Amino acid sequence: MKIGIPRALLFQYYYPLWRSLFERLGFEIVVSDESTKPLVQKGIAVTVPEICFPIKIYNGHVINLMEKGVDYIFCPRFVHIEKDYWFCPKYIGLPELVEMSVPGSNVLVAEIDCQREDTADPKCYAPVAKKLGIPMSKMKTALKGAAEDFAKFREYCHLGLTLDEAAKVMFEGASVEDFILPEYDTTIGLIGYIYNVYDPFISMNIIKKLRELKVNVITFDMLDARQLLKYRNNCTRPIFWTFPDKLYQSASVMIKDLQVQGIIHITAFGCGPDSIVGKEIEHDFADSGVPFMTLRIDEHTGESHLQTRIEAFTDMIKRKIRKVKEVREVNEVKR
Amino acid sequence: MKYYLGIDIGSVSTNVIAMDKDYNVCFNQYIRANGQPLESVKKGMTKLKEAIGCSDDDILGIGTTGSGRELAGVLVGADVIKNEITAHATATLHFHPDASTIFEIGGQDSKIIILQDGMVTDFAMNTVCAAGTGSFLDHQAERLGVPIEHFGELALTAEKDVRIAGRCTVFAESDMIAKQQYGFSKAEIIKGLCTALVRNYINNLARAKKLKPPFIFQGGVAANVGIRKAFEDEVGEKVIIPKYFNVMGAIGSAILAKEYIEENNIEKPNFKGFEQLELEFKPTSFECNGCSNMCEVIRVISSDNEVLAVWGDKCGKYAGTSKASQTSGR
Repeated sequence: MKIGIPRALLFQYYYPLWRSLFERLGFEIVVSDESTKPLVQKGIAVTVPEICFPIKIYNGHVINLMEKGVDYIFCPRFVHIEKDYWFCPKYIGLPELVEMSVPGSNVLVAEIDCQREDTADPKCYAPVAKKLGIPMSKMKTALKGAAEDFAKFREYCHLGLTLDEAAKVMFEGASVEDFILPEYDTTIGLIGYIYNVYDPFISMNIIKKLRELKVNVITFDMLDARQLLKYRNNCTRPIFWTFPDKLYQSASVMIKDLQVQGIIHITAFGCGPDSIVGKEIEHDFADSGVPFMTLRIDEHTGESHLQTRIEAFTDMIKRKIRKVKEVREVNEVKR
Repeated sequence: MKYYLGIDIGSVSTNVIAMDKDYNVCFNQYIRANGQPLESVKKGMTKLKEAIGCSDDDILGIGTTGSGRELAGVLVGADVIKNEITAHATATLHFHPDASTIFEIGGQDSKIIILQDGMVTDFAMNTVCAAGTGSFLDHQAERLGVPIEHFGELALTAEKDVRIAGRCTVFAESDMIAKQQYGFSKAEIIKGLCTALVRNYINNLARAKKLKPPFIFQGGVAANVGIRKAFEDEVGEKVIIPKYFNVMGAIGSAILAKEYIEENNIEKPNFKGFEQLELEFKPTSFECNGCSNMCEVIRVISSDNEVLAVWGDKCGKYAGTSKASQTSGR
């Protein structure tokens, strides 16, 4: 019995949990290939045109998995992982959206409606247990173990590893030391949803590009979920979507506590929540002196467009650091 | 005389400047590229050589900027290849050290740069569409049958205000047709268009930014007095147009080249010589079948089949095979 997991949307964040869970239950898992042009094109072809780019990519991955001959497509419905905070409607309707766009996709749906960041509440996975014909007692045990693995994975992230790097430590025998980078004089907060930052087809490897420009990169997933709550009460206008709120709170922590010198917001064209959250961050922190840049990505974005902007942004910060240093040196000589 | 050169290869124009050691601009040329940026780099360099009568040894360093900066940098042998924001800001700060806000509108992009104490502290570039840039005006000028050079002056003669929807070229066009049918004059329509462009620019780029004087307006579109007036009405302050407004990017890249050469005590710049520019080179493209990404790879090849530059491969398989990858200094 093969369970297919699309390498899209929240994949990089929850993969360790899902992998651990299904392996503990004794199933074989198949992950779709990395996003490529033909894979994405297939997704675009079957999806309604109005919807955002990441969903089109998700459908491309579903098709890819069906070509690989899996029995189920694991497609969780994310509604809540925290009280009063919702997922975007596209997540809430995702299983139906996939079934309608890709006929014959046999979706395996976990109903994520709980108050746990790791989603490992047995009631969410009861429909999965039922469909796979496994007793709930077995599911509970497997979830407990999976939750522990997820917690371990998140610990690696908190050390400053990207999700990809943390997964390599978890599953491929890499050590944390392999990913320790030199400390540069420039630190940029890169905020964007999992898929915008980690799908190389969307992000065009932005983390790598920034590191090549000698920049330390902090992403929201490197921060502890509790750390993200620190300034939530100061927020003038609560954001009631789960991940958009995480982005806003991470910007807040990065600016106030982590002394980032700039924030880059990477967003997919047509994202509803981002149109609010991006502007809200820009407005609320306008007086902080930390520059903010939005990078908007869609199906037609060229790589040079992205390169020019991140180069200009990094250049601005580095030249500022240099100038401030020069002025300081001149003043010291005068004294 | 010794010179630093700056080349700005944009979507619509290619600009070439020469500057002496004391920052005096000795030569500047704004060339409409008509889709032939490489040819116009050659043309510009040849003209420069004739105009100031210099030889290869007189060139102390070269900087390139603009969307074609990489390619041009390879062709001429640039010492510095810089993004447009840094280049524009550098030039502006040289001429107007107290500048706080730069409006820059070029052929297909527009930017705003916020400066403080002689440093760039914030900037924005247009994202998805070219509405509100030079190409948009070009297109409308053509449709109205008014030469683009007279566009601005005509706008200043308008007696009444008329509001044109400037969010998108397509909407602007249908709105203009409607307003013409109501009987508004060409001058009024053009003024409306200038106001719409500025409104669009401010909405897209300047939201949540505090705009402070002195305001500087540069880029090819700054030649348009109608747009300048519309900017002044919008910000309620005088807007300064620098003397070399349409070649500021090129000047900035020359200044950056000078800084780089002097700071690193470089005695021999990368410049390949004027003769090299007379060589033939042509771009070719192919779809790589190495993996399922199927990247469109673009290569520039010289007449003796040497690969000068490669773009477009995601994996970097070809990028290392060109001379571009071996050029230093950035």
